[in-house]
Amino acid sequence: MIARAVVVRNELGLHARAAARFVHLATRFESQIRVRRDSKVMDGKSILGILLLAASRGTTLTISADGADEQGAVEALARLVESGFAEGSWNA
Amino acid sequence: MERLKGIGVSSGRVVGQALVAIQRTQVIRFPVAPGRVARELAALERSRTRSRGQLQQIRDRIAQRKGKELAAIFDAQLLLLDDPLLVGRAAAIVAEERVNAEWAVERALDEVAEVFSDIADPYLHERKGDLQDVAGRVRMNIRGEKGGARDLFRDLEAPCVLVADELAPSVVAQLDWNRIRGFATDAGSRTYHTAILARSLGVTAVVGLRDVSRRIPPGASVLIDGDSGDVVIDPDPALRLEAEAAAPRARAQQPRPVAAAGPVRTRDGVAIALLANIERSDDVAAALDSGAEGIGLYRSEFLLAGGPPDLAGEDEQYEEYRRAVVQMAPRPVTIRTFDIDERQLARPLVDSALDARWFPQGERAGHAGLRGIRFGLAHPAIFKTQLRALLRAAAHGPLRILFPFVSSVQDVRAARVLLAEALGELGAPGIAGGTPAAGVMIEVPSAAFTASTLARETDFFTIGTNDLIQYTLAVDRTDERVSDRYEPLHPAVLRLLRQVRRGAVRRGIPVSVCGEVATDPVLLPLLVGCGFTEFSMTPGALPMARHVVQETNAAEMARIAARVLTLETVDEIEHYLLEAVDHQSVYDGARR
Repeated sequence: MIARAVVVRNELGLHARAAARFVHLATRFESQIRVRRDSKVMDGKSILGILLLAASRGTTLTISADGADEQGAVEALARLVESGFAEGSWNA
Repeated sequence: MERLKGIGVSSGRVVGQALVAIQRTQVIRFPVAPGRVARELAALERSRTRSRGQLQQIRDRIAQRKGKELAAIFDAQLLLLDDPLLVGRAAAIVAEERVNAEWAVERALDEVAEVFSDIADPYLHERKGDLQDVAGRVRMNIRGEKGGARDLFRDLEAPCVLVADELAPSVVAQLDWNRIRGFATDAGSRTYHTAILARSLGVTAVVGLRDVSRRIPPGASVLIDGDSGDVVIDPDPALRLEAEAAAPRARAQQPRPVAAAGPVRTRDGVAIALLANIERSDDVAAALDSGAEGIGLYRSEFLLAGGPPDLAGEDEQYEEYRRAVVQMAPRPVTIRTFDIDERQLARPLVDSALDARWFPQGERAGHAGLRGIRFGLAHPAIFKTQLRALLRAAAHGPLRILFPFVSSVQDVRAARVLLAEALGELGAPGIAGGTPAAGVMIEVPSAAFTASTLARETDFFTIGTNDLIQYTLAVDRTDERVSDRYEPLHPAVLRLLRQVRRGAVRRGIPVSVCGEVATDPVLLPLLVGCGFTEFSMTPGALPMARHVVQETNAAEMARIAARVLTLETVDEIEHYLLEAVDHQSVYDGARR
């Protein structure tokens, strides 16, 4: 299992669109994915879970993955969050 | 063993497995035998698949006609559908607690919604609506597949007793009373119709138990004593055996409601037409199975499945209406034009990922806004597309067009102009067999008051009682603070119904009654007594209505109705009706 901390950078935080993008990407990986904010740990493939983290701009999240493609998963998801979810374009 | 004390209202001593119904959510919780859990899970999964197909279809239609950006809003709903915390959690609840899938979905929704509420973020609060939409769709598809509440009983192995917070007529009417030995309810007041019903059906009943629906777990063994008012949870074996032995004696040879085809008559020979309300052509089979003599209300807006109305093309609509008409012919199919609010049209345009709305099951378009015929007149292109589709489908059988939310004769005139235009646009080949009948939904008090004027310019009336009562009494049924003021027996409501019927009779047009009152075992006979002879209701309620009609003496009810119309308060009317209906043996079953 590998984990990486990221900071939410986009204006709106992890709101519906961003959460949807995150989950779309997460479900492309086989690994089990978890996202932690402080003591809250959520399933990275659950849009409800991600929404319930209520992560606003500046929040630190820890993305962890466990499985065959864990390396790629964490890297891709971390990149997505740190890029500010490429807000403005939505092509789920 | 635990003993609760209530008020016995229908005698007998019965024991059975508890079927718990919570009226608040309209969802019934019932235990699933261990061997059937896999089947219940499979039903949940099929419902998810079906919901996914529907959402994808809406998304693709929108993508095609409105652009990709807008279609993406449904992707979020699709994600919610596949979310482990919703349907996934529901599956776990089914497996762990061995309860039905529909209930499990409701429970999973409650759990998530609770967490959402704890977060002080207005944005997240709004997301609750989307969750409810998705959960509602999944539940609707489970229900659609299983064919309604009556089917619940196929999974029950032992005879059961019904435990409920309260028994609304809409629930009562849909249950299979051949499988229910008795019932126990929390509610104690306003039990006039449940008491009568219990005696009519020959089932044991205890009411006024306050919290029985929360205290009895589904599937528990429960004894109900309708004479002493005792309800015993997990009765000891001796007590149970005694009740088992007594049960067949207590249950007299009552005629139980069964689905049957053909016309139905009151005990004194008055012919009553019982029709079905449906939402899609797929529902026609269930309506026919329940013995419907026609479709009294086809709610066409369900065809839109939550998408904007300009997405349903003329040909697509035509196909759907034609299917309903062909299956039902030679019986009539009454199709109500879209009853949606303009806001529902605008909502998907809101630039938010999750803002598309699904129509909550059984709920109408909204309040007193730009809805029904008002919407049609404000959007003539959408309205005429639907009218052309209806006119084309009318070539295949007796189709009737119904205009919702009419509040003045001008509405009818304007709608008729558009209907004529639609007919002209089709040209001669479009129609065989003339113009279909066009009727008016009487659901706004102003329409009811001017019924005789409206009747001159319309072919039939359908009284939408749920809304008519709500608007007449100025009661929002979804507002808990006033919902108990929603009272079908209010003198104003009864007088208004009489006035509408008189208007129709004066002009010689047919009038039918639609809504929950048609399924109520007390109100239905009263309406028969008022002279109404056509009723339309959810297919599941038809066997019960048939039973009630057959037990009704129309002439006697006419006398009772005349007296009721002179009474001044709801309480007086209730007391008088309870006594009259109960003691003057309007039902055979009430004579003990």
